[in-house]
Amino acid sequence: MDDDVLTTLKILIIGESGVGKSSLLLRFTDDTFNPELAATIGVDFKVKTIAIDGNRAKLAIWDTAGQERFRTLTPSYYRGAQGVILVYDVSKWDTFTRLENWLNELETYCTRNDLVKMLVGNKIDKDNREVDRNEGLKFARKHSMLFIEASAKTRDGVQCAFEELVEKILQTPGLWESSIQNHGVQLSDHKQQHQGACGGYCSLV
Amino acid sequence: MHLERNKHRAKMAADGDPESEVFEITDFTTASEWERFISRVEEVLNDWKLIGSGVGKPLEKGELTSGSWEEHTQEINFADFRFIITHHCLKQESAESQSRDEQEEDAYPLAMQDLLCMNNDFPPRAHCLVRWFGVREFLVISPGANCEAVVSESKCNLLLSSVSIALANTGCQVPLLVQIQQKWRKVYAGECQGPGVRTDFEMVHLRKAPGQYTHLSGLLDVFKNKIGCPLTPLPPISISIRFTFVLQDGQQCSWPQQPPDFDALLAGEVGGVEFGKLPFGACEDPISELHLATTWPNLTEGIVVDNDVYSDLDPLQAPHWSVRVRKADNPQCLLGEFLMEFFKLCCRKETSEEILGRSAVEEEGKENSDISQALSKLTEPAAVPIHKLSVSSMVHSARKRIRRNRRAEESPINNDVLNSILLYLFPDAALDKADSSEVRSTQEPARDSEDYHLYNQLKSAPSDSLTSRLALCVCVVNFHHGGVRAVAHLWQEFVLEMRYRWENNCLIYGLAGGAPDLRCCLLHQKLQMLNCCIERKRARDDGRKSGASDRSRLGPESAGPAEVSPGKSWDSWSDSEEEFFECLSDTEEMKDTESEKKPGSKSRAEGRLQPHGKLTLLKSPEPLYIPVTQEPAPMTEDLLEEQSEVLAKLGTSAEGAHLRARMQSACLLSDMESFKAANPGCCLEDFVRWYSPRDYVEEEEVDEAGQTVVRGDLSARMKIPGNMWVEAWETAKATPARRQKRLFDDTKEAEKVLHYLSQQKPSDLTRHLMPCVLHAALLKIKEEEATEDIASVRKALQQVTAHASKLLRHPNPDFKKLEDVIVQMSAVEAVIACSRSLKAKFGIAGGQREDDTDELQRFVSCLLEEPEVSVVGAGRGPAGSIIHKLFVSSQRAALLAPMEDEAGRSGGTDDRKAVPDFPPPAGREVLLRTCVPRPAPYSKALPQRLFCVLTRDEFRLAGAFSSDTCFF
Repeated sequence: MDDDVLTTLKILIIGESGVGKSSLLLRFTDDTFNPELAATIGVDFKVKTIAIDGNRAKLAIWDTAGQERFRTLTPSYYRGAQGVILVYDVSKWDTFTRLENWLNELETYCTRNDLVKMLVGNKIDKDNREVDRNEGLKFARKHSMLFIEASAKTRDGVQCAFEELVEKILQTPGLWESSIQNHGVQLSDHKQQHQGACGGYCSLV
Repeated sequence: MHLERNKHRAKMAADGDPESEVFEITDFTTASEWERFISRVEEVLNDWKLIGSGVGKPLEKGELTSGSWEEHTQEINFADFRFIITHHCLKQESAESQSRDEQEEDAYPLAMQDLLCMNNDFPPRAHCLVRWFGVREFLVISPGANCEAVVSESKCNLLLSSVSIALANTGCQVPLLVQIQQKWRKVYAGECQGPGVRTDFEMVHLRKAPGQYTHLSGLLDVFKNKIGCPLTPLPPISISIRFTFVLQDGQQCSWPQQPPDFDALLAGEVGGVEFGKLPFGACEDPISELHLATTWPNLTEGIVVDNDVYSDLDPLQAPHWSVRVRKADNPQCLLGEFLMEFFKLCCRKETSEEILGRSAVEEEGKENSDISQALSKLTEPAAVPIHKLSVSSMVHSARKRIRRNRRAEESPINNDVLNSILLYLFPDAALDKADSSEVRSTQEPARDSEDYHLYNQLKSAPSDSLTSRLALCVCVVNFHHGGVRAVAHLWQEFVLEMRYRWENNCLIYGLAGGAPDLRCCLLHQKLQMLNCCIERKRARDDGRKSGASDRSRLGPESAGPAEVSPGKSWDSWSDSEEEFFECLSDTEEMKDTESEKKPGSKSRAEGRLQPHGKLTLLKSPEPLYIPVTQEPAPMTEDLLEEQSEVLAKLGTSAEGAHLRARMQSACLLSDMESFKAANPGCCLEDFVRWYSPRDYVEEEEVDEAGQTVVRGDLSARMKIPGNMWVEAWETAKATPARRQKRLFDDTKEAEKVLHYLSQQKPSDLTRHLMPCVLHAALLKIKEEEATEDIASVRKALQQVTAHASKLLRHPNPDFKKLEDVIVQMSAVEAVIACSRSLKAKFGIAGGQREDDTDELQRFVSCLLEEPEVSVVGAGRGPAGSIIHKLFVSSQRAALLAPMEDEAGRSGGTDDRKAVPDFPPPAGREVLLRTCVPRPAPYSKALPQRLFCVLTRDEFRLAGAFSSDTCFF
C-alpha cells in the first residue's frame, strides 16, 4: 500500500485551545465526531492516505495542544512541516484575534518558509457566530492563506479543507520532492555537450 | 523513391494502353548492404522532413552566431559499422511564416545562396562547417563513437556515392557531408543537390602550407584553377581576410594579485592573523591569452597586394578589429581551492585518534581522570567562588593541561598558531575581568538581513557565531597547517574547551541564547544546547547559593550576591537522580517569604511568580497565583527527531494516543504541582482557569432568590471521568518547581552533547561545518562582486545559492553533490578574477582616462560575456590603442630575449622599425567567393567559394564548387 504513495507530507494543526483542532482531525481521519474529546496534551499524531488527482499522498498529521503553556513544547514539532492548518472558532471572537500570534509562532519555528497555510473557521454549525465569514476571508487574503469554513460536527468543509491543502502542496514546486528519498529522477541542469559542434574557434590557434 | 530493383517486362508489344504495357515486380530480396544503407539514409531524410526546397530569408548580420541551433542525431548502420547522422539547423522564426508559393520553382538550394552571403563571415561561435561554408543548415554523417575513421579512398568514395544517390532519390536540398579521415582532422566532403545544379564540398588538409600558397596571390591561383572559368575577363572575386594575433599572458602586464603569504604572516606577529577572512582571487592571471582578429572584409583582387615579397595587409590599418580572450583552463583560484581542500576532508574515514596516534588517546584518558579529580576538588566546600574565576584564566589553565600532555613536536599545529586560533574563537578569554553574564552571546541577525536569509537557506549558522568562526578556522588549519591532522588537533582542543566551559559554568561565547535554533546546522544546535545546560546549571548553583544564604541568615535582605557559604550549597550536583530544579530569582524568594509572613494563609505557599490578574481561588478569598514553573527541555533537531519518532510509533489507536499523552504529561504534572504549591487550597477549576481558560465555562444563572449569579463549571471535556487532566491533578503533590524532579536534566544532556562532540571524526566535522563554510564563501563572493558589478556573476550566485540550499536542506544531504556547488563557486570566482585582470589590462582600475572609461568598461564587460567583441574604431579607438600598446610592449619584451628566427611574416607597420608592432599572425583566414558558370561557358553562373586557413601547424582549403548539371 505504501509503495504507490507519491510522497509523505507533514501537516500541522494549530490554533487556540478548544477551537476543535482534534475534532477536525478525527472527522477527517475517522469520519466521526465526539463532543467529549479530551483536551490534547502536547501533540497527537494521526496518519491518513488520500488520493489527489490520482496521486496518493500519505499525510502524517500532527495535532497540537492550544494552551499557552504547551506552546513552549509544541513548536518543536513544527519542523519540516509542508502544510499547516490554522483553526479558529467562529463562535469565539478571541480565538480569531489570536491568529496573528500563531502566524508569528509559525514563522519563528518553521524550518521552511514556503509551507502552505490554510485558515479554517470551525464550528459553523453553532448559532452564536461571532466571526463573520468575510473577516476570515480578509485575514486569509492578507496572509496569503487558503481559507475555508467548516464544521467537524456536521462534517461540512472538513474533507475539502484537507484535500485543498494537499493539492496546493503538491502544486508547489520544491516543497515535497525532497521528501521522496531517492525515488525521484534527478534532472541535471547541465546541457548535454554538443559532440559534433566544435565551439567557435576550432579552426584556429 | 526507395531503392528498388525493378524488372520490366514487355508484355504485348501491340497493346495500345501504355499503362498496362508494363507491369512491375518489386524485388528487395537481393538488396545489398550498400543499398540498405542508402535507403536507411533516405528514410532518415524523410523522417526529418528535409525533402524539397527549403525556404528562408537571406541571413541577417551575425545571425549564424546569435541565433540558436538545433541538432538531431540518429544512428544508422552500414552492415555492422555504426554511423551517426546529425542534422544541424539554425532556428529561424520566419521560416514557417513564409509561404512556399513565394519561392521560385527553380530557386537554388538555400545552402548555395548562403555560400555567397557576406553577412556572416568569420562567425565568433559556430560549427566549423558553418565557418567554412557559411551554411545555415546541413547534415553530417560521421563514424559512431569508438568506430574507426573512414580513411581509405574507396570507402570514402562509397560513402560519397551513397550520399549522392540518397540526395538524388529524395530530392533533399540540404547539404549532406561525410566526415572522413581521423576525427581530429575535421575533414569533410559531400554535396548539395538542387534542380539542375549541384555543389561539391571538398577539402584539403595538410600540416604545412606549401610555400607558394602562404599568401593571397597563391590562394587566388588555386581558386581560379579550381573553378576553371573560361570567361575573360573573369567575374570579380570577392576577398575577405582575417589575421589573428595572439598576445600571450603576463609578459608585460604583471598580474596584480599576489597570493597572500600565510607562512610569513604566522611567523611574524601572532595576533596579526585574521582567521575570519577567506582568501579570494586568482594566483595567476586568469586571462591566458588575448586574441586580436583584424579583418579586411570584401576586398577585390587588385586592391591589395599580398605575395611572397610584399604585403599591404597592415593590421593597424585593418578596417575591423575584434578581440576575444582565452581564460586559463583551470586558474588557481584561492577561494575555490580552499573550499575544495575542505570538501575533500568529507571523504576521510579516520577518527581523530587514528590520526593523532594512540598515545594521545591514552593521555586523553588520563586527562579525563584528571578532570574528574579536578572536579571533585571544585565541588569541595572550599572551592573558589565561581564569579571570581576569570574566563581567561580558565582558558589558560585548559591550555596548560593540554600542553603538558602533548609534546610540542607531536602537535600538528604549533602553539602560537593554536593560541591565536583559540583567541579568535573565544575572544572572551582575552577580557580580563569578563563578567560571564556579559559574555552572553551574539545577537540574532535582523530578519531582513542577507546573512539571516543565507543561514536560513543553507541551514548554516549566523556568520559571526562561534560555529561559523570554527568553520573558517578548520578551513584554515586544513589548508595551511597540516591538513586532516591539524583539523583533528584543533577539534580535540575545541571539545576540550567545551568540556572545560561546562565544568566551570562558563557560558560559551558567540551563540544566540535560548533553545537551539532549529534553522541552524546540527553542530550549532548542539553547542547552543550545551550553553542551555551551562545556563541552567549556573542558575541552579546561583539559586542554591542564595538559597543557602537565605536559610543561613533568615531574611530577604540577605538575598543578593553573597559569599558562598561552605557546606550545603555544593552538594553533589552531578548525581542527576537526586537533582531538583531550582528556581532562581531572589525577588521571588522575597515575595514568597513576605506572603508566608502574611497572616491568614492556611498553609505555606511556595514558588509564586505573580498574581493572575484579579482572580481569586474559588474556594477561598486568596488571590490566584501563577506559579514559577519549570521550563521544558530545549531540544536539538536530532533529539526532536528521535522523540517524534517515538511518539509517532505509538500509532494512531486510542491506546497509542493515550500513551502519547501520558508521555507528554510530565510538563503538565509539573505545572500542576507548582500551581498547588503556590495556591494552597486550590482545586482543578482554579488550575484550568489559569491553564486553559476556555475550558472553564461561566454562565449567568438566576438562583432561587431570583438574583443573577455567574456560575462557572469545567467544560464537558474536562469532566470526562478518568481523563488525563483529572488524573494528573489527583496525582500532583504540592511541590514548588525548585524542588521538583528536573524536567530537563542538564547534566545528562551536557554529557550527551560532549560525548557526541568527542565522537565526531574530522570528516563528520567537515560535514557539520560545510554549510557554514559555503555561507561564508557566498558572502565573500558577494562582497567581491560588489566592486566589480558583473550581471552574470549575480545571476550565477543566485543559482548557486538556490542549488546549495536545495542540497543542504534535504533531510539527508548528498555531500557528493556539494562538489558541484564548489565548482560553480570557483567558476564565479574565476569570472571575477578575469574581470579584474581585464580591468587592469585596460587601465580602468586606475581611472585616469576619464573620457574613455565608460567605453572601456563596456568593452571589458562584453569581453567577459561574449565570445568575441568588436573593437570600436579598430586600431584607432581607445580600446584599440591600448591593445596596440600591449602588443608593442609584448614584442619588445619578447625580442629582448634571443628569439627564434623571424622568418615568418611580420605584422609590423613600418619596415624601418627594428621590432614590428605585432608578432606574426597565429592564424590567417582567407575567404574567396565568386559566381561563375561551370563547367561550360554557357552554363548557369553559380556560387563558388573557397575558405583557406593557415596556421602554424595546419593548412586547410575548404571549397564549395557549384556546377550546372543540366547537360552533363
